[in-house]
Amino acid sequence: MFPLDSPWNISFAGCGFLGIYHVGVASCLLEQAPFLVLNARHIYGASAGALAATALVSDVCLGETGACIIDVAKEARKRFLGPMHPSFNLVKIVRYMLHRTLPADSHHRANGRLGISLTRVTDGENVLVSNFNSKQELVQACVCSAYIPVYCGLIPPTLQGVRYVDGGISDNLPQYELKNTITVSPFSGESDICPRDTSTNIHELRFTNTSIQFTLTNLYRVSRALFPPDPMTMKAMCKQGYKDALRFLKKNGLLDFNGPLRDRPLLAHENEDYNDDEEEENKSIEEEESPHKEEREEMVRSISSLEEHIIEHLPPILHKALVEACMERRSLVQSLSNLLPVRVASTIMLPYTLPLESAMFFTLRLLEWLPDVQEDVVWIREQILRIVQRILQQASRSISQHVSARFSYQLELHHYQSLPYQLSSTNLFPSWVKERSSSVQDIFSRLNQYKRHLMSGILCINMDLQGSFETGQMPQNNSSLSILSTEGLTFETGCANIPPAADCSDATSSS
Amino acid sequence: MDPATSSAPINGDCETESHSLWSWWPSWRPTSMSLLKTVETKILACIQNDLWARFVTLPNQDRIWTLTLTNKAVLKPAVPKTPLVMVHGFGGGVGLWIRNLDTLSRSRPVYAFDLLGFGRSSRPPFPSDASKAEQQFVNSIEQWRQSVGLENMILLGHSLGGYLATSYAIQYPSRVLHLILVDPWGFPEQPKTQPDDNPGQGAELVKRPSPPRWVKIIASVVSLFNPLAVIRAAGPWGPGLVNRFRPDFKRKFEDLFDDDTMTQYIYHCNAQTPSGEVGFRAMSASLGWAKLPMLQRVHQLPPSMPLTMLYGQRSWVDSSSGYRVVQIRNQTHTRVLLINDASHHVYADQPEEFNRVVESICNSVN
Repeated sequence: MFPLDSPWNISFAGCGFLGIYHVGVASCLLEQAPFLVLNARHIYGASAGALAATALVSDVCLGETGACIIDVAKEARKRFLGPMHPSFNLVKIVRYMLHRTLPADSHHRANGRLGISLTRVTDGENVLVSNFNSKQELVQACVCSAYIPVYCGLIPPTLQGVRYVDGGISDNLPQYELKNTITVSPFSGESDICPRDTSTNIHELRFTNTSIQFTLTNLYRVSRALFPPDPMTMKAMCKQGYKDALRFLKKNGLLDFNGPLRDRPLLAHENEDYNDDEEEENKSIEEEESPHKEEREEMVRSISSLEEHIIEHLPPILHKALVEACMERRSLVQSLSNLLPVRVASTIMLPYTLPLESAMFFTLRLLEWLPDVQEDVVWIREQILRIVQRILQQASRSISQHVSARFSYQLELHHYQSLPYQLSSTNLFPSWVKERSSSVQDIFSRLNQYKRHLMSGILCINMDLQGSFETGQMPQNNSSLSILSTEGLTFETGCANIPPAADCSDATSSS
Repeated sequence: MDPATSSAPINGDCETESHSLWSWWPSWRPTSMSLLKTVETKILACIQNDLWARFVTLPNQDRIWTLTLTNKAVLKPAVPKTPLVMVHGFGGGVGLWIRNLDTLSRSRPVYAFDLLGFGRSSRPPFPSDASKAEQQFVNSIEQWRQSVGLENMILLGHSLGGYLATSYAIQYPSRVLHLILVDPWGFPEQPKTQPDDNPGQGAELVKRPSPPRWVKIIASVVSLFNPLAVIRAAGPWGPGLVNRFRPDFKRKFEDLFDDDTMTQYIYHCNAQTPSGEVGFRAMSASLGWAKLPMLQRVHQLPPSMPLTMLYGQRSWVDSSSGYRVVQIRNQTHTRVLLINDASHHVYADQPEEFNRVVESICNSVN
């Protein structure tokens, strides 16, 4: 049972062209349980999910949205290489379609209710944007959220002065962890509304929070997210969405029985209606909660018949729009180009036409880019500088770590060796030797200082080398001066002589 | 405790014999049994009741890593309570029960062990025949029971563990007083490739686009490998992969560990030499269906044995097979329970609810 006593959210997963699935889900929710959408506190979305969420929040006709998505898919499929063909400018198309379909006051409706997941370019962190000052900004947020790097282009778009890319990279299913979030995903897995594949595979992975089960159909779906399938398949996906949403409603007892009786057009709800709608909904829920068993059974029966009916026909508006979108390609030019000889010819000509076309469309894009050139170039320069800086930083850090690690190891060696020497010296040697020994100690402490210096940079290597040479030389002088030198001392000098040599080789190898 | 039980202290030898020839070679995978031990010790440190962890050596020299939890604070009842035995799922280990062990061991002893070929248990080779692989698992459970010296038990299995527990209960029904299956794997039968002649559903199935050929080719190539080969092949990037693609494990245990202890545990459990995985692969056909589905065999369970099936409401495991089991078996002794807002890992998503349900089932036994 889905808890309705506390505010709930709806979250749409990012999924590229499978966004058509969201349209099916949204239309089912609007038709069968409108209160679930209208009273949802927030509607979140990432990438294609953001487009669906925007459409839902701003009361755009879902049929139109679905038709748009299919149109874009058809555009993408038109050429060889599909969406990778240079003529296909996804960002431009999406922007144009959003501008066309969204009502002028859409940002007012979206403000505070719609949450669009974005990935900030500078640090890769996720950002949920829910304040929009104008329709322009709302459209830009949608474009940012759908901007898959490389696939859509190389220079990320800006929103309110900050560069963003596809929200799916950092969080594909915003706020899914909240208990009261209805998660919608076209990939079968553990989302609330998702297709149920007939598979019992144990393996499941999470792509930035979206649960994706490892099944054949999911593999197919993932491949179709960026390379759209043919329109009929997309329509089937839409239907699948409708069916899955219906199953979710049924399972949670949310089906709005009174919905069809109310003769109000669903898409004409105004803000003022929300409150009394809610009351009505609450009443109807209360009524739903306490029916007799027989009644419930009857209802279930009626639902199942309803469901069968629905599976046959999507909501009429949506169905009609989708069918129209699917059928459109019967134009004369299209059918001509579909003829076999024409297709063969175009395939043969491809090596010649493709570079030409590419060149043409690149110039077109460059021209379109002109207004933003200055801003973008500044950004690119900043990025390059930052990258170079980071590389330099890392390189210097790793080198200094390397070097200091070696030296500290050697210093420990020195300390270790100095200990017995000290002991013997206090017992055996006259005071001036003791003084000498203290000076040896001095050198060690100085070495320690050097080690500390080393942390600050590589430049200190030379000084340190000097220091270690001195330690080597020191006892040598000592032994040459004193005839009384014992075995312990000469042993000491021998030992102390080795490290500097090792030092040298280390330093050279690491620098 | 049975004198035959050979027990080693926690700090005992747990290193498997290293390949002497290659031991000098730096390992591609940053994992070892001792790393697994370290992470597991960190996890098990959360347990407050009396914990006894040791290897139980089976007659064939395989060693099964076993936890025993008892609550000394409670006075011993006149009639000893039937112990609860917990069997983890694929790719898991005893550590995953961390949110359940303490609560469940309040009133009765709880045993949890790493399945043969998983976690810290021995990793022997498995036959490639489905029934033989299954038999090897089931034999190891029975031998483990003999070595530990349990007369009977309440058997709880999750996922793959649920499948094996059912198979065990079919073969050794007298040992199991109550069978609890949590999101069990391997129950439904693989549908035929031809759609049924059921008109309504058949038409729908036909309409659904069947995956193109290349998808099938990829799938058949993938099925040549062990399921988790990717994690091992990724070498030093393996832990990162687990972190990236299973962040849910980290979140499920967030209140216990705020670092990636849990994902590390999962990694070290699965990055070692594959063994249980091989057994699982032998038992499963084409992407996760069981070759010998349980629905065909579940009628062999004695009708008097009570069976409870727990399903996560949001889990991808279809609870409808649970209702099929109810149909097949005597209804009075079979129950299906759905746990709200829980995914496949029911016990970690909704531990309170899970523990409550399991405790009440256990109390119904004695």
